Amino acid sequence: MTANFDAFFNEIQSKLGADAVNRSDETITRYAENTMPGGDRRPAGVVYPASTAEVQTIVRAANAHKVPLYPVSTGNNIGLGSRSASTAGQVIVDLGRKMNRILDINDRLAYCVVEPGVTYQTLTDELTRRGGQLMLDVTSGPPQGGPLGNALDKGAGYTPYFDHFGFSCGMEVVLGNGEVLRTGDGSIDSDKLVNWHTSKYSFGPILDGLFTQSNYGIVTRMGFWLMPRPPAVQSFHFTFPDDDDLEEVIELCRPLKMSNFVPTLFRVANDLYLSASEGQSQEYGSGKSLSDKGRRELREHFGLGAWNISGAFYGPNEAAMAPMIQRVRDHFMKSGKARYIDHEQAKSVPTLQVAINAFSGTPSHGELGLLKWRPGGGNLWFTPGTPMDGKIANEFQHLCRKIYEDYAFDYTVMNVCGARFARGLHVITFNREDPEESKRADACYRAMAKAFAERGVFVGRAPLDYHDMHFAQTIPAFQQACSSIKQALDPNGVIAPGRYGIQ
Amino acid sequence: MRTNFTAAQLTDPAIAEADQILQTCVHYGFCTNTCPTYVLTRDENDSPRGRIDLIRAMLEQGGRPAAKTVHHLDRCLSCLSCMTTCAVKVDYVHLIDRARVHIEQHYKRPLADRATRALLAYVLPRPRLFAAAMKAGRLAQPFASILPKRLRAMLTMIPARASSDILAPQVFPAEGPRKKRVALLAGCAQQALNDNINAATIRLLQRHGCEVVIADGAGCCGSLPLHMGRENEAKGFAQTNVAAWSRGSFDAIIVNASGCGTTVKDYGHLLGSDDAKRIGALTRDVTEILHDIGLKTPPNPRAYRVTYHDPCSMQHGQKVIDQPRALLRAASFQVADVPEKHFCCGSAGTYNLLQSEIAEALGQRKAAHIESTTPDIVATGNIGCMTQLNRYLGTPIVHTVELLDWATGGPLPPALEGVDLPEPSTLHAATAPDTPTADAGFW
Repeated sequence: MTANFDAFFNEIQSKLGADAVNRSDETITRYAENTMPGGDRRPAGVVYPASTAEVQTIVRAANAHKVPLYPVSTGNNIGLGSRSASTAGQVIVDLGRKMNRILDINDRLAYCVVEPGVTYQTLTDELTRRGGQLMLDVTSGPPQGGPLGNALDKGAGYTPYFDHFGFSCGMEVVLGNGEVLRTGDGSIDSDKLVNWHTSKYSFGPILDGLFTQSNYGIVTRMGFWLMPRPPAVQSFHFTFPDDDDLEEVIELCRPLKMSNFVPTLFRVANDLYLSASEGQSQEYGSGKSLSDKGRRELREHFGLGAWNISGAFYGPNEAAMAPMIQRVRDHFMKSGKARYIDHEQAKSVPTLQVAINAFSGTPSHGELGLLKWRPGGGNLWFTPGTPMDGKIANEFQHLCRKIYEDYAFDYTVMNVCGARFARGLHVITFNREDPEESKRADACYRAMAKAFAERGVFVGRAPLDYHDMHFAQTIPAFQQACSSIKQALDPNGVIAPGRYGIQ
Repeated sequence: MRTNFTAAQLTDPAIAEADQILQTCVHYGFCTNTCPTYVLTRDENDSPRGRIDLIRAMLEQGGRPAAKTVHHLDRCLSCLSCMTTCAVKVDYVHLIDRARVHIEQHYKRPLADRATRALLAYVLPRPRLFAAAMKAGRLAQPFASILPKRLRAMLTMIPARASSDILAPQVFPAEGPRKKRVALLAGCAQQALNDNINAATIRLLQRHGCEVVIADGAGCCGSLPLHMGRENEAKGFAQTNVAAWSRGSFDAIIVNASGCGTTVKDYGHLLGSDDAKRIGALTRDVTEILHDIGLKTPPNPRAYRVTYHDPCSMQHGQKVIDQPRALLRAASFQVADVPEKHFCCGSAGTYNLLQSEIAEALGQRKAAHIESTTPDIVATGNIGCMTQLNRYLGTPIVHTVELLDWATGGPLPPALEGVDLPEPSTLHAATAPDTPTADAGFW
């Protein structure tokens, strides 16, 4: 299709005001930037809607002028694409500037309804202002990220409400054809939407999932369930000294989650994932991965192990949780290799304080520091998963560690463990200003993606550079179904063409 | 980020330092959403990374900066919210200060701007002169409508009530056994605007076993001229203070205006001398030292709802965040946080005098957030924030030390005189506005 950008921007400007369009060179340059090896992607411009109706206006104009759009919410998707579009020349629809209102908080039924630009920090601040009786599950990523964008990209946190999409309820979506869809109980033709944000399982198919990791519409409103804030949070932490201890760690964590004895997910982080946030590689430039000696020194310096496990209990007070902490402690210590770090000690260790914050629903910046492990700002997240089977998890560790070493990167991972499955958050930090190193980072990611796919393991969230590659790893019927849905909901393909591989 | 300075340029230590700082910025953009000016204008050049790019271009080119560059750098609050957010810890504070020096040295502002800035840089650090200027300003207020816009804006900033007491060099003995001997930075503008802050600080420190010295020769910390790019004037003030405090032997240099505290703690960088580094290392916000000593039990607990506003210089500049809250709680107050507390109130030294429109937008935004917490009293740790917020708040605002002093036996803070506070005994059965029905959780 031939896009008529000038006509599109003129129409938006005339209908939504001059303030709704930005085509300055500085803006285009910044929205092009990302942290991936594939380079920046300059958009055609940026538009700022203020309401669902304005999003409709933008989508209809995009259909009329054949202009591809790329919506972003808060634009903090660092390591996965930042604010840049799937391809150069798309128009960024920045929902965060004006659509950043908390539309409702229902204190009795414990849910909130937000626009795309509402951040974790804003929502947490508001819940605190209202008395702090409810808490939001947050990520350990940027506080200025937001629940709506995170949930739609299948992001997760660490509390019992960790599954951000799973704990969402009810969406409003502007489809690619410009129509507004209400999902779930919001689909009833009524002005009184009593259960829009309390029930997902009434009449008809559950359409909400269509709008995760896809490009069928622009979600403009979404409900999230909130957790009653417990009076006390008590964390516990263990370190294990050897890489191969991962097998035992996973076996120890599984029953505690399967029974839900421990209410939080387990953060099982390797040495570098925790220590990288506190400094920069002292061996950068050696042409090799961080040496065993270097890792050992980091572990000693920060009081960490090769693997570091964090979890938490919720309760009325510290004393009430003490017996449960003791049971977990006995459970881990029977291995003979674990070292226990209690809640009070952990509070003085910045890298463990990050875990406490996450378990407490407190947004924090602490973990972002690991992105600077190497200079030059390159970051990629590789997010395969493992079943909660120690042997398999350890095999995957060997596989990944070897590929990191083959490409001279530093193995940096946290396994976020539930009952049956753990997501492995691998970060590749690289010098994006060094073309050779960028190329190597790209090759490293592709090698890991290939190796895992060969073992039947898919990634979770994926950097924009690799959406096409991962889409090609799916079966033809999946691809055909995605295309058919795209054709039905966005016949002119104006919403984020190429996102998650769907054209 | 890549830079392109010549070898000759890099022989200048200031440029060499700027080069190192510039190279650390990798444009993640975490900073943008926490930058007050970017959030207001959505102009990339009003964001930290946009400004960093402008600074790079300006310093690389050397000489006279473009008017556009000056415009966007002038609009930076130096609130340092970006530094809290930054994943790679770009040393923005020293970069923007360097840029301001370059602008001051190489850019000729319009005459009115030059005159205004020179006036502020001269008057504000001199408390007697500033107090006299405020009196003159009050006389001129009825004629404000016929004055130029900027002067008019300045006149509206003069607080209705100001109480000046310029402290002479002296020693205030500790009550009971002396635990510490400290020097208090009496400050400049603060002394002309609100003399009770120093008075309360001294009483409070004395009550907690500190001998308090107002050192002969110490004066303005240099912060105000420094942030206007007048580095040499700032250095002059700083050197004077370092010399004054080096003549005595102190356990700490105490600062009760956090904007000043950030600068004094950084004297080592500003001056580079060992003495300056030593003084910087000795410097503590008043709440830091009181927290270390431990607050006396209040004889008559007054459980007022106090909303605490974090000055940027405390939360971002010095990372003094928990201590004021802990002290207020120890004094029996109920402490509430301000939503969006990482944002600046728009005071920012002379910012609200020089960038009144943005400052007003931020002041109103902050005041609305504060009022949303339904406080009885607002507390903060910086005279600049107090003056700025007093214009927009309907609730009295006081310095943290004024409340701590009152709670531990001192007089009622003047800002609370005549204020109809609820009886402490009937205060706040519930802890917050819009308190949810408590059945959401089983706890």
